[in-house]
Amino acid sequence: MAIAEKVFNNYTGVDSEPIVGVDAVCEQMIRHWTEVMEDTNPLYSDPQYAENTKYKGIIAPPMQVQVYTMNPLWPKPEREPNSMESLLKVMAEEGYSTIVATEQNQEYFTPMKPGDRISQVVSVKEVSPEKQTARGPGYFVTFAYKFTNQNNDIVCQQTFTILVYKSTVAVKEESK
Amino acid sequence: MIETKSSVLNWNDVTVGDELPVHEREITAALVAGGAISATRDYQDVHHDYHAARLAGADDIFMNILTTNGLIGKYITDWTGPTGELKSIQLRLAVPNYPGDILVITGKVLRKFKENSNHLIEIEYLGKNKQGNHAKGTAIISLPIGG
Repeated sequence: MAIAEKVFNNYTGVDSEPIVGVDAVCEQMIRHWTEVMEDTNPLYSDPQYAENTKYKGIIAPPMQVQVYTMNPLWPKPEREPNSMESLLKVMAEEGYSTIVATEQNQEYFTPMKPGDRISQVVSVKEVSPEKQTARGPGYFVTFAYKFTNQNNDIVCQQTFTILVYKSTVAVKEESK
Repeated sequence: MIETKSSVLNWNDVTVGDELPVHEREITAALVAGGAISATRDYQDVHHDYHAARLAGADDIFMNILTTNGLIGKYITDWTGPTGELKSIQLRLAVPNYPGDILVITGKVLRKFKENSNHLIEIEYLGKNKQGNHAKGTAIISLPIGG
């Protein structure tokens, strides 16, 4: 059964507390990124080149911003769940427990340099009506993110949409 | 030493309708799982656990959106050179990227414009694999004006 719209209203438009990333922007994480992407941009990896640009040193790829605020696998963060986490928990309890990302829109402002500490504030922007998708019934949920550095400069504003669904395959497996 | 790209694309040398070079990337399991865990710190099981991916209704583990976003950003600055400054990327995903796929990225210049003191272009890109459109969207990047 679909979830009542008024349930969603309890979670939308509420900013989380700022979450400070566990790692500072650093050359090691930049290198792990460029290794996987095969990104040869010298701004990310060549200190000599980067020194002679307006940045006066290497910068992180702007697309990497969210990596610095991802929840670690362990230990679990010791804080109250924010509106995003609470909403996803409620949806999972109703059987909408599988997630796939569908859209990411990033706007970049201040560049990230090694040593920067990135924080994020996240809120639930909107929840679609229930949709029947190829993978099962679900909702498109859009979050708004604001990423800042230690000086409170805005690094990136982002919207991020996920499909939260009841996987048809999983429901069949469970009823076996 | 890996060769770094330092060619410069100037705003004055770009015309609306210009096509970006076609880029092909082989999607391996290492790229999918390493893209999730190593490059983007995303431990969602569908990106590294075959059985979890199957239960989610997918055919195999599939690439996470942050990795696709990284590949699109790289695609654009590979073309502009390091003096291109990304201002925004909009990304919409459709079919997944599975190990064994080849992602073919194409793009073209939609618009040239000035804002504040920036010389900007907007690019429309498309990443396809054998099942169809994987990633589609636009990006805005500022370029040096040039001679």
